[in-house]
Amino acid sequence: MTELSDERPSQAITVLLVEDDAPTSWRLQDALAKAGFQVTAAATLAEARACLTESGPKVLLTDLQLPDGHGVELIRETRRRFPATEIMVISILGDEESVISAITVGATGYLLKDAFPTDIAATVHELVAGHSPISASIARFIVRRTQNHPEPAPGPVLDTVRLTPREIDILWGIAKGFSYAEIAGHLGLSRQTVPGHIKNIYRKLEVHTRGEAVFEALQQGLIRL
Amino acid sequence: MAAKPALPGRQRRRLRASRLTQYALVQVLIAIACVFVLHQSLPQPPAGYLVNAFNTKEGGTERGVTLPHYTSSRFSMNDPPLYSGQFVWSSSEAQRAWSVYLPRFNNGVEVAVNGVVILDSRRDPAANRPDRNAPEIAVIPASLLHEGENNLAVRLFVWGPLTGFLDSIYAGPDPVLRPYYEQRTLVFVTLPVVFSAWQAILAVILTIMWAVRRHEPAYGLLAAAMTLGVAQAFLPTAADQSQYSRLNAILITSAPLESGFVLTFAMLFLGGRWPRYGALIFAPGLLLVAVGLFGDQALISEFFLFVGVPTIGLYLVLLALIVARSVLKRHDVASFVLGCAVTIVLSCWIRDMLSVLQIAPDGRIFVARLSYSALLVAIGAGLTWRFARALNQVDGFAARLVTQVRQAEDKLKASFAREEERARAAALALERTRLMRDLHDGLGGQLVSIVALSERGEAGAPIGEAARAALKDLRLVIDSMDDIGGDLMLALGSWRERATAQLRPHDIALDWRAVSPQGLPVYPELRPWHVIQIVRLLDEALTNAVKHARARRIMVTIETLTDASGVYGCISVEDDGNGFALTGDGAAAALGQKAARGLRNMRSRAARCGAVLDLVSTAGGTRVRLTLPRRFPDSDAAGA
Repeated sequence: MTELSDERPSQAITVLLVEDDAPTSWRLQDALAKAGFQVTAAATLAEARACLTESGPKVLLTDLQLPDGHGVELIRETRRRFPATEIMVISILGDEESVISAITVGATGYLLKDAFPTDIAATVHELVAGHSPISASIARFIVRRTQNHPEPAPGPVLDTVRLTPREIDILWGIAKGFSYAEIAGHLGLSRQTVPGHIKNIYRKLEVHTRGEAVFEALQQGLIRL
Repeated sequence: MAAKPALPGRQRRRLRASRLTQYALVQVLIAIACVFVLHQSLPQPPAGYLVNAFNTKEGGTERGVTLPHYTSSRFSMNDPPLYSGQFVWSSSEAQRAWSVYLPRFNNGVEVAVNGVVILDSRRDPAANRPDRNAPEIAVIPASLLHEGENNLAVRLFVWGPLTGFLDSIYAGPDPVLRPYYEQRTLVFVTLPVVFSAWQAILAVILTIMWAVRRHEPAYGLLAAAMTLGVAQAFLPTAADQSQYSRLNAILITSAPLESGFVLTFAMLFLGGRWPRYGALIFAPGLLLVAVGLFGDQALISEFFLFVGVPTIGLYLVLLALIVARSVLKRHDVASFVLGCAVTIVLSCWIRDMLSVLQIAPDGRIFVARLSYSALLVAIGAGLTWRFARALNQVDGFAARLVTQVRQAEDKLKASFAREEERARAAALALERTRLMRDLHDGLGGQLVSIVALSERGEAGAPIGEAARAALKDLRLVIDSMDDIGGDLMLALGSWRERATAQLRPHDIALDWRAVSPQGLPVYPELRPWHVIQIVRLLDEALTNAVKHARARRIMVTIETLTDASGVYGCISVEDDGNGFALTGDGAAAALGQKAARGLRNMRSRAARCGAVLDLVSTAGGTRVRLTLPRRFPDSDAAGA
């Protein structure tokens, strides 16, 4: 656990970074600190929980594979306790298995571990501004789940029934590599409304569970360790 | 009774009434036709040879009668009435033989000319059946004849069940009389034999049918009726007390039993149910059998006349009603033909009854038995019709079955192919998931660490770049393994993301232009290895533009083109760099070995996918144009 700054500037955005690989953690810390974020780093689930005692950070960036547990648990807890916190998952490959798992418990975006420092800062800024990043492959994964297949494809379970046709159209556009502006043009939307739609999509894919048993069962299906 | 439940009650009743009227009208017409045909008297020999003035001696009294004559007694075996008359013969007729022709008599005759017996019909079994209308002819030996009047004496034997009857007698030249005799024989003797043979065939066919289809007792009943009918026709009358006379008597009086069988057959055949006291139908027939077993000849005759014949009539009426109901209900051809036949038989039976009761004496010609052949023909036709229809149904069923089996086969094949495809896709997805997890946990993490570590020291930049390239390639491999359903745009979408990320540090803008909203056509045959070749080719083009051409802007154009042979996709990568010469040893040589190899790679990748690569490079920039095939090859073209 490394405190970069004891004094919080009033505008400074607090970020809790949970990453067990030290070089990667440093790299991300550097990139974020340089951009003016107030970063708290944790290497394990326990450390991260200790940081979450009093108030939630503005942004939670977490890896999924942690030495003492799974990042999904942390995301779920944070989401429940601090609904205002923006959560992003740090992924090596940006693959749907990890990203979708995180989305279903409350994450609204993902960050590639090898992204360039400027991109890392920009992505977090956009997230705070309400722009949830989404990749073509994630969009593709979601829209393919909206198509009716007799057998569920392998991978995380995803409930797509609440998505509107417009949201599915937006996902198709992203999956095919169109920019927000192009999608907005095709669908007759304002360019500014597309990120909002994407955030809505993330929110709709989130699974709200009540009982612990249900969660456990879900987790079994969602995450294969 | 609800044949057509869709119709409202009143309409249905009206329809039924009109159908009933039509049917009844047809039957009335048939009955009228019967009466008309039966009214036509058979041709008679010239009146000149007619001998009809006789003296009859019956029971000791003698009186003059004119033939035809009905006796009053039903039994005259001991003292048969003797009819004596004369006919004229002249010696000028000597060159042709003369005959005595008796068109009709009941039951037997003994004919004597000038005191010599020339004919005794009791020796002719066919003539002994009162229901057969058999004629007799006898040639008069020339020696018996003499000039002028000759005596003709006829003894009429009557043994019931009817009173005796003697029709007009003809005595004349044999060549003149015989044709009339032959005509009657044909109609009343030969024709019944033909019909009996037909009946015998029907009996055999029906017995076989019943034996094979035991669950259809109707055929068994009809077979029994036919067998009885054949037995009746071919057994001689028991005029003399033969060994089997009782059996013969039983069989000959079995007509009520036969009609009972026909009636029950019709009930079952035409879709009716077996009535509660159905067995009672056979009661009169069985009663006659019992009488035949234990009673004497006279009793049998009495019973047959007073029980058997009305029973037959009653059953005929019932049969007509059953068939009429079936015609109304099912209005099929078989029922209708059967109904017409029943009407014919019933008309003839009524006429015979009128004849027997001497209400409408008509020369004692009985036609009911003969008309029964109409019923036989109808039954035969009906069965054949039904058989043919069943065959057609079987054919239709078989054809339908063949079609259905073929359809099911096709469906199965399609579903098998689909299943195979799905299994393949599932296996691929599973493999991809496994690979991804492995790479994520191992290689991926290590590469990320390398990137992070390389950024800490100044000298590590190339290492970091290499590690980043490795990560990028890793993502490409995993991405291209995903099932994109033949939509290459989905692969290009991910490629755009990676390209954007790759170009950002170099400050190169990526213009993305999809000319049509759907971008590229869908290629159902697209396989992951095609995707990897195309994406790597595009990566190569991008790398060339970045590293060697020093471009500031790269434009990717995606379009669907149409020509005579169909639609195909086209992807272009253009840059505004300084280009390079492709041929000769000028700029290309300066470009270095690496770029040259890159170009060769691109061509080979395009060839393996069946795509065409166009490369135009000028000082103002380079354009790589990849024209996709109409159909991606199944196997690796370069490997072949």
